[in-house]
Amino acid sequence: MPRPERKTIQLTIDGREVQAIEGTMLVDAAKQADVEIPYFCYEPKLGNPVGACRMCLVEIEGIPKLQTSCSTPVKDGMVVHTRTERVRHAQNAVVEFLLVNHPLDCPVCDKGGECPLQDITFGWGLGHSRVIEPKRHFVKPLALSPLVAIDRERCILCYRCVRFSQEISEDYQLIFTERGSHAFVATHDGHPYVAPFSGNIVELCPVGALTAQPYRFRARPWDIEGGAGVCTLCPSQCNVTFTVRDEKVMRVLARDNEGVDDGWLCDKGRFAYQAIHVDERITRPLVRDAGVLRPTSWERALEAAAGLARHRGRVGTIVGGQASNEEGLLLARLSREALGSSDIDSRGMAGSGEAGAPIPADLARVLAAPALQASVPDIEFAHTVLLLGCDPRDDAPILDLRIRKGVRRHGVRLAIATARPTALEANAKLGVRCEPGGEGRLAAALAQAIDGTVDAGAPAEIAELAQLLRDGGEDVVILYGERIGAEGAAALVRIARALRLAERDGAGLICLPAGANGRGLREAGAVPDAGPGHGELDGPAGRGCAEIAEAAATGEITALHLFGTDPVRELPDRALWRRAMRSAALVVAHASVLTEGLAEHATVVFPAESHAEKDGTVVHPDGRLQRLRIAIAHPGEVRPGWAVLAELARRCGLETGVRHAVDAFEQLVAAVPVYEGLTLEEIGGGGVRWPERPQASALAPGEPTTTGGEAPSGDGRAPDAAAASNGALRLGTYRPLWAAPECEISPSLKFLVPRQRLELSPADARRLGIDDGAEVVVAQNGTRLNATAVVRTGVQEGSAFLAQGLAADSANELTEPTIEVSAR
Amino acid sequence: MSRKILFEDIDEPGLNTLSVYERRGGYQSLRKALGMSRAEVLDQIKQSGIRGRGGAGFRMGLKVSFLPEGTMAKYLVCNADESEPGTFKDRELMQKSPHMLIEGIAISAYAGGIDRAFIFIRGEYQHQAEILDAAIAEARAAGYIGERILGSDFSFSLVLHRGAGAYICGEETGLLDALEGKRGNPRLKPPFPAIEGLYAGPTLINNVETLSTVPHIIRMGAAEYASIGTETSTGTKLISISGDVKRPGNYEIELGIPSREIIYGLAGGPPSGLPVKFWFPGGSSSPVLTGEDLDLAYDFDTLAKAGSMLGSGAIIVADESRRVLDTMLKLVKFYAHESCGKCVPCREGTNWTHKMVQRIFAGEATPMDLDIMGSVQEQIMGNCLCVLGDAMAMPVSSMIRKFRPELEADIEAARERAAARDLAAAAELRPLAETESLAVH
Repeated sequence: MPRPERKTIQLTIDGREVQAIEGTMLVDAAKQADVEIPYFCYEPKLGNPVGACRMCLVEIEGIPKLQTSCSTPVKDGMVVHTRTERVRHAQNAVVEFLLVNHPLDCPVCDKGGECPLQDITFGWGLGHSRVIEPKRHFVKPLALSPLVAIDRERCILCYRCVRFSQEISEDYQLIFTERGSHAFVATHDGHPYVAPFSGNIVELCPVGALTAQPYRFRARPWDIEGGAGVCTLCPSQCNVTFTVRDEKVMRVLARDNEGVDDGWLCDKGRFAYQAIHVDERITRPLVRDAGVLRPTSWERALEAAAGLARHRGRVGTIVGGQASNEEGLLLARLSREALGSSDIDSRGMAGSGEAGAPIPADLARVLAAPALQASVPDIEFAHTVLLLGCDPRDDAPILDLRIRKGVRRHGVRLAIATARPTALEANAKLGVRCEPGGEGRLAAALAQAIDGTVDAGAPAEIAELAQLLRDGGEDVVILYGERIGAEGAAALVRIARALRLAERDGAGLICLPAGANGRGLREAGAVPDAGPGHGELDGPAGRGCAEIAEAAATGEITALHLFGTDPVRELPDRALWRRAMRSAALVVAHASVLTEGLAEHATVVFPAESHAEKDGTVVHPDGRLQRLRIAIAHPGEVRPGWAVLAELARRCGLETGVRHAVDAFEQLVAAVPVYEGLTLEEIGGGGVRWPERPQASALAPGEPTTTGGEAPSGDGRAPDAAAASNGALRLGTYRPLWAAPECEISPSLKFLVPRQRLELSPADARRLGIDDGAEVVVAQNGTRLNATAVVRTGVQEGSAFLAQGLAADSANELTEPTIEVSAR
Repeated sequence: MSRKILFEDIDEPGLNTLSVYERRGGYQSLRKALGMSRAEVLDQIKQSGIRGRGGAGFRMGLKVSFLPEGTMAKYLVCNADESEPGTFKDRELMQKSPHMLIEGIAISAYAGGIDRAFIFIRGEYQHQAEILDAAIAEARAAGYIGERILGSDFSFSLVLHRGAGAYICGEETGLLDALEGKRGNPRLKPPFPAIEGLYAGPTLINNVETLSTVPHIIRMGAAEYASIGTETSTGTKLISISGDVKRPGNYEIELGIPSREIIYGLAGGPPSGLPVKFWFPGGSSSPVLTGEDLDLAYDFDTLAKAGSMLGSGAIIVADESRRVLDTMLKLVKFYAHESCGKCVPCREGTNWTHKMVQRIFAGEATPMDLDIMGSVQEQIMGNCLCVLGDAMAMPVSSMIRKFRPELEADIEAARERAAARDLAAAAELRPLAETESLAVH
């Protein structure tokens, strides 16, 4: 639904005239007017107020009883008193009641010093207690999960955590049980609260009842500092505050940015900071010496890496998704200007494996047109949201919450068109399944159904989807994954045109790239077929990831430069990458942890920065430039990425002129036309969306030159899903949220690192005699993987799904489109 | 003294069956109502002046008129959770005359433009639920529930839902949550149920007795019904009377008669012959009145003016042999047990009060604790999400106010007993030096 209109009204609070937007809750209107009304349970992010804590009672003229200001919308002419004797009496009462059962163990409580209950008791309490009765007791602390501990004695039953679980993340695991003063927060049957967003309840808790296991007793509020940053572990790029003590990140908190994350974090973003301070972290340069990687000096490592210059024209560069825009630009300059190679790619998984050809530069440019870019808040207020070939839960988790919010609170109609069932199936109005890798064809069929080039003959479900998008309201936001490939991208251009998405402010596209900064790296020119700002290349296009691997395996490429990525770990076709890296004479890597491919094949490994140490910018999938800032000092001998690249370039014969992080930023702004005139001040703490700047017009939409191949024949679902012979299943892949080296080395996240699961349909499971939870073997061309079978009703018959990016039994081992499955 | 409308045929054998109910004129009011326009029926309810019989005494006609017009799904919910201690009138109505309730629901639904109705009956009323279920089945078979009732355009469905046993589910919004399958917690008001109730649709919620009266209003005509009782408390009321009386039970009275007539005239007064010490005029949540208040007229306004309330019409009588403290403990324990735990003043206030009263019994309280207890009641009143907190605070503070000297004496007596007990226990102890087990080896 479109955003509501905003009307300003006038009211009086404590004798002062105050202006507020009509419908604002009184407590917020008061806050804007610098009148503080205390509260515990109120949290607008959690939806409708519950009025449970009664702390925010105020007197409103004309209403005999005191009213909860958290649930009273302001009205024109309202006269409110927040400091009368009656109000003070009620506030004293509530504070006294809250402390009846609270243990007052502040000196040993992690929350002490940053505790709303403490603050409000000092500010609005009587200052003494008349309670001499025994307090209630619970066994404490209990592990609510390996990540969160619960102390039920401290709990003031404000409902925040339960509401989060019930209404925000919709995992429905936290509940209230028992009643009266015996009530407590629990899970059904005491089952651990394991969910992707569980850590948010720690931050929501207004007392020390919910504490993060990794933070318990690690610091006190008076010996920590906060450092604003951006989490670059996925494309959501949530705004965070690093809690720093003695140059170590002790915890990560949300830094509420309505335009990005709405103040939520996923557990990976919240807890994977532990990977910054583990023994596995590389903090010194390594050089392979007699077959073994040994710590060495920067001088020697740089000298060895400068050997890249001897492979001029035969260097392939792979850029990991966490690289900043500046690093992307420097890598592209190094590759193109110093090493004479356009074989640079940052698109990672996208456009490889079952998905087919990656999105070519001309289509990417059209899809990046400023008028077509939807913002994150647009998701919430759209008439219809379509997920095309993506699952936000895995690809950009915080957007999953945004979609849920839109559906729950603003009546957004959600449509899903994917091969693999998403985490949002239950919220969707409409779902269309295709075979793995068929998203492009599905998009093409949808385009035909929408723009009317095919009047009839489209399958009913596609026609229905087309109708929903066309007639269900103008504001349509399409979230798509790069896996839709060239064909899908070409179709998307047609869909966007037919739905006139460019003409509506609240409509548009959001691409969920494979890499956290996928969008920024493309805009910085770290792709084989375009320069900075989607610009034309002087020469011919270079090779993408898959072709670089081929070329390296056959000896056409002789050196590899791997920035923040291990292709053996991250990219499809592990066997090919193992061959490629073995064949390469020189493999220069920048990494913070030694994964398999680097440990075995890297010649030089530079220690890489974590996202808490980096200075630079990244681009959110909705076009928002955000700034990474240094929260902690670089550990050991780690040097800034830009500095290493500039020095390496110099030794390869290219004087980049980058002597400071700001130089790299200025070069980026100069190189990308749509960033023109941008300053770090303008980006500030909340970021700036370049599609909203006037300079965005520098990116003319233009016409795509590629059409994405022939128009599909048949119903858009071809090839026939059941066509695979001998009971073989068509293989689809996905990257689970937790399949990341950061999770593997973060002690508290280890328990979440997935083992391989084979997702298959109930029909296939029956046919193959496989039960849910059975151990199975997945075979293909002699490669065998172990997996646990998961029978999912949403999976289409004939399809099966395996996870990529795992350390063992990963789908990256497989290359063919079908698999054989047997019981183990 | 006793005027019978609802109870006129109540002891007719087999009244719970459709045939007997119809023979006694049952469902004629529904027939008559369906012959009238919706507005006329609503007008009759309004003109009758009937006030809600569940406890709050809100005018039913006004409540129905709050329902928005429109084509959205609207609901009628009959509150049969009768959980107020001392109240058992709805039980008799449902057990003996279930069709009267069904007929009342049908007419009210018609007046409110409602096509879906529910009866939420407390879990303990298993027998009554079975009777109601049978009656609903009979009424459905006879065409009083279902499509195009009696050949009119009016259709409605009726479902009986059994609660799981919680006082708070008698609170209208707690009831709605429970009916929706959630934990029975009260909701924030506004929005009021008439605007946003069951499944977020406009909902009319009324008590069993109120709805059962509707067929009689239609039968008699609003003017005649309104002529019974007083100007602001029209009609008759079912009274559940219990405690120290000779003839406890349900009685139907005309509103406005002296309370003494009910307690002494109908129920026969205390069997001991002792004077009445205190009495709850409207269920355990109403502030207590004393023997001096027996001549108050029993109607909504007079009792409110006297600082109490008519509530559900449940009178609990205690004679001079009773201790206020014992009643207080029972009362406080009940409310602390039934508090849902959602809002702070009720959850902690009832719990704290309960612990303080227990401490009096343990002989560990002083008269000063009565000041704290009184102040805690003040801190609860008016500050809660629903009225459960007030339901304890009002009677407790009235007890402290009216019986302070007695309570102080009981506190001191309990302290003396405890001290004597401690002394006796101390005498049992041997001197420490003689205790061999403490010897150091």
